[in-house]
Amino acid sequence: MLIQMGRRAFLRRATGLASFSGTVPAFLQKTSLAFDGDPSRDVPPIPGLRDNRVLVVVQLAGGNDALNTVVPYRDDSYYRARPNLAIPSADVLRIDDELGFHPELVELRELLDDGNLAVVQGVGYPNPDRSHFRSTEIWETASPPDAVWTEGWLGRYFDNECSGVDSPMIGLQLGERPAQTFAHPRPRAVSMANPAIFDWPEEGPAGLGFEQINQIEPTGLDTFDYVQRAANATLAASRRIQEAVRDDATEAPYAPFAFSQSLKLVAQMITAEVPTRVYYVSLGGFDTHARQDRRHASLLQELSQGLAAFRDDLDRRGHLDRTLVMTFSEFGRRVAENQSGGTDHGTAGSMLLMGDGIRPGLLGDRPDLSQLDDEGDPRFTVDFRSVYAAVLSDWFGADAEAILKARFQPFPILAPARTRA
Amino acid sequence: MKRLQTVQAVEPRRLDAASAAHLLSRAGFGATPEELDALLDLPVDQAVASLLDTAQAAEPPRPPDWVRIPWVNTERRFADTPREESAENHRQTRRRYASEMNDLRSWWLGRMITTDAPLREVMTLFWHGHFTSANDKVGISQAMYEQNATLRQFALGNFRELLGAISRDAAMMMYLDLEDSDARQPNENYARELFELFTLGIGHYTERDIQETARALTGWTLDVPPGVSKPDRPTAPDTPRNFSRDGLHATFVPDRHDDAEKTVFGRSGRFGLDEVLDLIVSREETGLHLASRLIDFFGAADPAGTLRNRLASAFRGSGFEMRPVLHELFTAPEFYEESSQGTLIKSPVRLLVGACRQLRLEVEPTPSLADLTASMGQALFDPPNVKGWPGGRAWIGSGTLAVRYQMADALLQSRIPNGLEPIGFDRFLLVPRDPSQMQERMERMEQAMTDRGAERTRDGIKTRFHAETLFPDGLPESPVALVDAMLDRLIVTPVRPTARKALIRVCQAAPIADRPALVVRLILASPEFQMA
Repeated sequence: MLIQMGRRAFLRRATGLASFSGTVPAFLQKTSLAFDGDPSRDVPPIPGLRDNRVLVVVQLAGGNDALNTVVPYRDDSYYRARPNLAIPSADVLRIDDELGFHPELVELRELLDDGNLAVVQGVGYPNPDRSHFRSTEIWETASPPDAVWTEGWLGRYFDNECSGVDSPMIGLQLGERPAQTFAHPRPRAVSMANPAIFDWPEEGPAGLGFEQINQIEPTGLDTFDYVQRAANATLAASRRIQEAVRDDATEAPYAPFAFSQSLKLVAQMITAEVPTRVYYVSLGGFDTHARQDRRHASLLQELSQGLAAFRDDLDRRGHLDRTLVMTFSEFGRRVAENQSGGTDHGTAGSMLLMGDGIRPGLLGDRPDLSQLDDEGDPRFTVDFRSVYAAVLSDWFGADAEAILKARFQPFPILAPARTRA
Repeated sequence: MKRLQTVQAVEPRRLDAASAAHLLSRAGFGATPEELDALLDLPVDQAVASLLDTAQAAEPPRPPDWVRIPWVNTERRFADTPREESAENHRQTRRRYASEMNDLRSWWLGRMITTDAPLREVMTLFWHGHFTSANDKVGISQAMYEQNATLRQFALGNFRELLGAISRDAAMMMYLDLEDSDARQPNENYARELFELFTLGIGHYTERDIQETARALTGWTLDVPPGVSKPDRPTAPDTPRNFSRDGLHATFVPDRHDDAEKTVFGRSGRFGLDEVLDLIVSREETGLHLASRLIDFFGAADPAGTLRNRLASAFRGSGFEMRPVLHELFTAPEFYEESSQGTLIKSPVRLLVGACRQLRLEVEPTPSLADLTASMGQALFDPPNVKGWPGGRAWIGSGTLAVRYQMADALLQSRIPNGLEPIGFDRFLLVPRDPSQMQERMERMEQAMTDRGAERTRDGIKTRFHAETLFPDGLPESPVALVDAMLDRLIVTPVRPTARKALIRVCQAAPIADRPALVVRLILASPEFQMA
């Protein structure tokens, strides 16, 4: 819708003028920031945004074996390439007459039946890189494969579209190592492993000194100023996070594992309506060069049970329709198994999307195993940046082209009724 | 001086207090007044040579008591071992490894805190982040210890020798699957990381080079050392490695080696491991890649790339020796430029070890002390992935910064901060879907986690701060003098005026006896102390 586009551009200019104070002028708050979230909801928009939608990014670190996740159980070339690792067709949880889930994805199978899950197949990018680090960087920055960018794609989204949001935690990551997805010279994201750490002296000389020493006083020394800003943002976000966790008495049955517990915290934050637009959670261990079968099975079980518990929890508490979950992994694995009972680095993989307003089922074309590249890897059929474009423009109503610095046709992941014009 | 210095036409630069503190904050864990005095007013060349001499002369530390040569596999499973017995051996062995790893982490931290040759440990830490192996995957404490000893042995030595040793290192061979690579189907994992991360850097090889190198490396596996007899009873075929491994000694098995011709970087021959390593080190990119890694790790500004080229020349010109490279780095004008000083974010290990050394804390290293660095994002012996720790700004997330700030309390009050325990545990096994079996498995896992946590935190944090040991002539009386003395001792970056004022005000408001600890606590939880 042209008017909205125009208004966003106007807002960007206007907030650009106001960015010294970091707040939006009052006249703007009254008009262009009026609430136009989902009509069925009474959750107000995130202050400074037009709606209350959130995105949860789930990283499957190490390179998830997409071929054993969604199994082509009728494809002879699959069974020939993997005499030991292929999932027997009798064990596959069938989705259609060609494809089915790994037997551990019991809960995801149910989510699919409920219309809450989509699998985009054959996702990749041109000239695939088989390095974990380079390929992860390409996914996290959305750079062309031949360019090195340092800013994360969501870091750019925050900078482009969320300048009017007065929040130190517009992005929130569960984990210790800040993800490049949120990276930006003007960072807007916090990360944490355990919210209980945000416990500061508030009384007496110590509390006072602590507060004063961590006021920002710009020095012009880049790295030092960065640390100052990070410290200040951390203290600012601490109380919000602690309150959200403390006031929440969820009894949802999450498994006691790190990934599931991270999702439980995310659900607490979403329910508490903290000013966070994007959450980021990681599940690691997918680099299955050796003895893959049981390892991969337990990882998929964790993914399946974690996502299902998360869906149930949000659904029960009325926040599922605000939430979109998107998984990514730096690459799939080589089609042929190796001698160590594992698989080596490959190319195209799949992305899962979970939520209330998505187009459920198998989306995109699965790669043709008879048309592999020179290394014996599948050729991609969907550019991951077209999925990002859909998340940005269709889910958030953002200017995807400006953020991705190139035009990608948004891949249709959302039901038309939930798609932003 | 033992070594010939290049004759310089100009008067060699001498170290003033700021430059000496800067050098020690990078080539050590932060300056103590004693270390500073030893370098003050020396010509830069001479100061650096003396640091290098001390590092090279350092005696290796005594191994932890549990290190046994040769290693014996206490969970080896014979064809006739009853299931129950085998499960029990496995449990006992894993428990022992976990406890030994806790000990190993404290052992190394303790070494870093007390050593008189900090550069040796700093370089060992550098190599630990470069030639990474994670206990998460390796899982054998003795192998992790031996790798650490190897990295320390070659820390300032010859890179080609280090490369040969690390390629035959048990922990590395397990971590990157080299022990399982044989001619029938070479495993590419080690070959790829050897090129991408350890030597050439990304982009300087082809996928074909990797495949051919993987073939050249086949045949190496782990076995008992020469002269030690193997167990005479076989394991059943297809027994997983953990239960079938006989030893940790790198052994070449010709039958597993692909002896045919390979072509790497356009050169062809019937290459094996050593031929490939020779090819790699002699390539220009290896020196340049190492130079970049060192420049990043030690935080020198090199916008023009000239320092990088000089380090790479020193590397090639000396036949791949590290000492000349480090000498070039620590004497470089770029290293002392303003844009290099106070600009490096301390790694968690630097932060903690530096605090202990600079405050002369009385420290008994415990697993909980090592847990602090892990919670700040640097778990010794468990780098996040094969690329090691990214360093720089990546050290600073909200969560890790919060732990950094809590560290002050932890060290000064000897207590474990809240929120260090993980919010959940890693799922390393499938959970049965049958409800009653699931219940049982979960309870077992929970129990194992609880036990591990209890074992780790059993000794708590054992550190003591004695302000008077910092001031042999008595504590400074005025708040201003006390604050300035502490800032002088602990901070290498310019201190913000408001921060200094805040410290003085807090000091004035506090009882005299509480002041030193309070000031230290606040300085440790300041942006300034995060910088080296």
